[in-house]
Amino acid sequence: MKVAYKHLINFIPSKPSLEDISKKFSQLGHEHEINNNIFDMELTPNRGDCLSIKGLLRDLAVFYDITTLGELYNDDINQLRLDFINKAPKICPHISFLKIDIEGQVAPYSGLLKDYFDDLEINKNNFFTDVSNYISYETGQPTHCYDAQKISNTFSLEIIKGSHFFETLLNKKIELKDKNLVFVQDNNIINLAGVMGGSSTACNSKTKSVIIECAYFNPENIIGQSIKYDIKSDAAHKFERGVDPLCHENVLRRFIKIVKDHATIKNVEIFKKDYQDFKPDLVSFNIKLLNNILGTSLSEKKLKEYLLKLDFTFIDNKIIAPSHRSDIKTPNDIAEEIARVIGYDNIKSQKFIIPKLLDEQQDYKSLVNNISNFLTKHGFFEVINNPFINYETDNAIKVDNPLDSNKKYIRTNVEKSLTENLLYNERRQKDSIKLFEISDLYFYQNEEVKNKKMIGIICSGRVGNNHIDFSKKIDKSYLKNLLNEEYPEIHFNPVIVDREKLDTKLKNQIIYLEIELDYFKNHSSKYISEPKKSLNKSNFIKYVPISSFPSSYRDLSFAVKEKDKYYELQELLINFKHNLIKDIFVFDFFHNEAKDEIKIGFRLVFQSQSSTITESEVSNIINQIIDKALSISSVEIPGLIR
Amino acid sequence: MSSFNKIKPPVLSNLSGGLHPINQVKDFLLSILKEFGFNEVDGPEIESEEFNFDMLNIKKSHPARQMHDTFYVQNKTNVLRTHTSPVQIRSMLNSKPPFAFTSAGKVYRKDDDATHLPMFHQVEGIYVDQEVNFAQLKDLIHKIIYAIFGEEVHIRFRPSYFPFTEPSAEVDILSENGKWLEILGCGIVNPIVLDNCKIDSSKYSGLAFGLGVERIAMLKYEVNDIRDFYKSNLDFLSQFK
Repeated sequence: MKVAYKHLINFIPSKPSLEDISKKFSQLGHEHEINNNIFDMELTPNRGDCLSIKGLLRDLAVFYDITTLGELYNDDINQLRLDFINKAPKICPHISFLKIDIEGQVAPYSGLLKDYFDDLEINKNNFFTDVSNYISYETGQPTHCYDAQKISNTFSLEIIKGSHFFETLLNKKIELKDKNLVFVQDNNIINLAGVMGGSSTACNSKTKSVIIECAYFNPENIIGQSIKYDIKSDAAHKFERGVDPLCHENVLRRFIKIVKDHATIKNVEIFKKDYQDFKPDLVSFNIKLLNNILGTSLSEKKLKEYLLKLDFTFIDNKIIAPSHRSDIKTPNDIAEEIARVIGYDNIKSQKFIIPKLLDEQQDYKSLVNNISNFLTKHGFFEVINNPFINYETDNAIKVDNPLDSNKKYIRTNVEKSLTENLLYNERRQKDSIKLFEISDLYFYQNEEVKNKKMIGIICSGRVGNNHIDFSKKIDKSYLKNLLNEEYPEIHFNPVIVDREKLDTKLKNQIIYLEIELDYFKNHSSKYISEPKKSLNKSNFIKYVPISSFPSSYRDLSFAVKEKDKYYELQELLINFKHNLIKDIFVFDFFHNEAKDEIKIGFRLVFQSQSSTITESEVSNIINQIIDKALSISSVEIPGLIR
Repeated sequence: MSSFNKIKPPVLSNLSGGLHPINQVKDFLLSILKEFGFNEVDGPEIESEEFNFDMLNIKKSHPARQMHDTFYVQNKTNVLRTHTSPVQIRSMLNSKPPFAFTSAGKVYRKDDDATHLPMFHQVEGIYVDQEVNFAQLKDLIHKIIYAIFGEEVHIRFRPSYFPFTEPSAEVDILSENGKWLEILGCGIVNPIVLDNCKIDSSKYSGLAFGLGVERIAMLKYEVNDIRDFYKSNLDFLSQFK
C-alpha cells in the first residue's frame, strides 16, 4: 500500500520529517520502503486496520498529536427504502447502502481528493468510483458504487454454488466455481462480494445517481477469492485482513462530504442494517502477567497510558479493544501493543541461560556424519536436490498442486537426481565426478505413506586427480572396495547406469549405489571419523562467483636429476600464481631408479572469469613456467622443442 | 642409495570432497544452539494439516494454507511441511517442561524465483519453562547472532506477526553498506500453541525462533543467487570444502 508522506502530515501539526515518521513506523512494526516521499507499506497480515491514512495515523498517535481526519456531512439523512435481502447475515453482519443523486457538472477535483490522484499518480475512472477509491485510502473501508439506474429495488446477498459466469467492472469474464458470496439481481450476479463489482451495474462518467454499498464481510469468506479468480482487488486485500464493523456511518458521511465538495447533491438517503450486535473483545488487565510476558516492571499508570494512546479503553479491570482491532484477543496481544509503543529495542535484555537439560543423541546423526566424512575424505561432494520429479513410479506420492507439470511427483529414489547432477558436471568438462546425497524418501506402501533415509552415491571418470589415481577409471570395484574399507561386513552391490538412455556421448562407466541408512546401523565401521573442520563465525570462505566460460588444460612433464633442484621446481610450481590458473595438480610421478631421476607431471587448468580463454593466453603462462623451470639446473622437459 | 628415496610429490590441490555448504551452515547453527542447551529433534517432511497449521494457531483461513502457498499431497489431506515447527509440536506433545528443542531440515513452499525456492532449510528453536519472557528472548537472540556474525554486529528488533508467537519480532543486522538485513524471526510462544500441546499456559511460557539456513549461508559466504546452492556444480561445491 502506497501512502504519501504529505497526506500523513496534513493531520500531524508538529510536521515531523519523513525520516522521523519512517523510524516510528519501524518501531511500530510497519515495514516500508520510501520512494519520492511515498511510503510503500508492507503491513503484517494482522494489521488490516492500518491499511489507510486513518489507520496509520491511529498508530502514529502514540508519538504525535493528530488532528481530526476529514470533515463529515452532518445533516440528517433520510431513510433509503431498499428491497435488499441478506441471505448470508453471518458472513455479512453489518451492511449499509447510501443513495446519492447529483445534478450538474462535477467540479475539478480539489483538496485531498486531488492530492490523492496527483501525488500517488493514480488513474482516474469516474467521479463516484474515484471518491470510493479515495475513501478506501483515507478510511480503510472499501465501498462499492452501483449505478442506481441499473439497480432495481430487489437484490440480495447470498452464497451461490456451482458454475456461474460473471463479468467484472473491468470487463474480465470469469467462471465462478464452488461456493461464492455474491450480490444477485434478477438471477444475475452483479458483484463478487468483497472482491469486485460487475460490469452490468457499474458507474460511468454519466452516472448521476449512485448506490454506495458499505459492508463488513467475515475475512474468512473473502480470503483467497482474488487469487482464485486472478483479480487484483484492493477491497479484497482489506476485507481479508478485517475492516472496522462500526465505521459505516462515518465513512458514508465522509463520502457525502466529498461528493458535496465537488457536485450539487439533489438527494441523499441511507439504508443501514446490523444483523448482529458488535461485541468488543475484552481482555483482562493483569499488570503482573503483562510484565511477566515482556520481562518489564511497568506500572499500572504507564500501561494504561500506552494503551489509551492506541484507543483501548478500560472497564472493571478489563481492557476493551477498539472495534478496528479485531486482532486483539489475549494478554499476549496486549503485551505486544505495549512493546511496540515502548519500542522492542528499548526493552532491556535479561541475562538468560537454559538450564542443563537431558541431552538425547539422535539415532542418525553420528551415522550420517561418519559416512559423509568418509566419502568427502575420498573426494566425494555432497549435493542436495529438491524432491520433485515428472515421472510416476508405482509407489510415488503425487503433489496435488505442483509448481509445474515437470514436478508432479515426489521422488522415491535419488538416482535420477544424482545422474542429472553427474551429467551436468560432465557437460562442464569435469573428468572425475564423485557425488552423494543423503535424503529422506517418501512413498506409498500398502496405501500408507512411509519414509526411509537413503544415501545415494554416484561416480564416474578418473578415480582422482593425483598421480596415483589419475590414470585409474572408476568402476564398480572401485566403489565397492572403497566402501568395504569403511564397512567390511557389508556386501555392497553398485550398479552401472545405462548411458544409452542418457543424453550423453561419453563412454565412462557411471557407477551408482543406493542404500538405506538403517542398513549401516547393524554393521560396525572400521573408519573412525576424524573431527571434521567445523565452521565458526570467522572461518567462512568468501565465495568467488564461478566462471561461465569453458576451461582449458595443459600438462607439463619434467625430469629432474638432483634432489635440491627437484624441491626448487616444486616450490616454483607451488608459488606460481596467475589469475587464469584455476587448478594445478600432480598427475604423474615416477622415480626412474636406473637413471636416478624423478619424472613429475603437472596438470594446469585454466579458466577466465570474463571470457573464453585463448590459446595465446595459455601459451604465454606455460612459457613463463617453462622459462623459470628450465633456468633451474638439471631440470629438463623431455621432448620439448621450442 | 638413490638421492630420491622416500621422496613424495607435492600436494598442490586439496583433493578431498566436501559436505554441501547448506548442510555445513545448518550444522554450524545447530552446534551453536547445542552450546546454548538446545536438544535436536527430528520429524517427517510430509505432515498433517493439524501439525503443520492447526496446532500452531494458523487458522484455516490463513493465506499460507492456500493452494498457492503450500504443497498438498494425498488428495489434499497432508502437506509438505512449510516449516520445521511441526517437529517441535510433536516433541512438545511428548515432553514436560522445561525443555529446549531445535528442529532443522528441509521445508517446502510453493515459490520458485530468484530469491525463493520450493525447497529450503530452516533451523528453529523453542524453549518452554516457567516465567520465560521477551527480555530473556532478546538476550538469547543477541547471543545467537553474536555467535554467527561476531559481537561487533548491530542488531535491531522489529515487531512482526506470526500466528504461533505473540509478541513476535523480526531481527535485523546492520550490513556494511548501511542496510538492515533480516536474519531471523522470533517471539514468545503463543499460549494457544502451548495449550494445544497440552502444556498449561497459565503455568508455563516459552520462547521460539527460526532461521533460514540459505539466508545465513548467503550472507556468510557472500553468495548472491540462492539457486547456486542447488545446481550441484562441482566448481561451486568445491569452494566450500
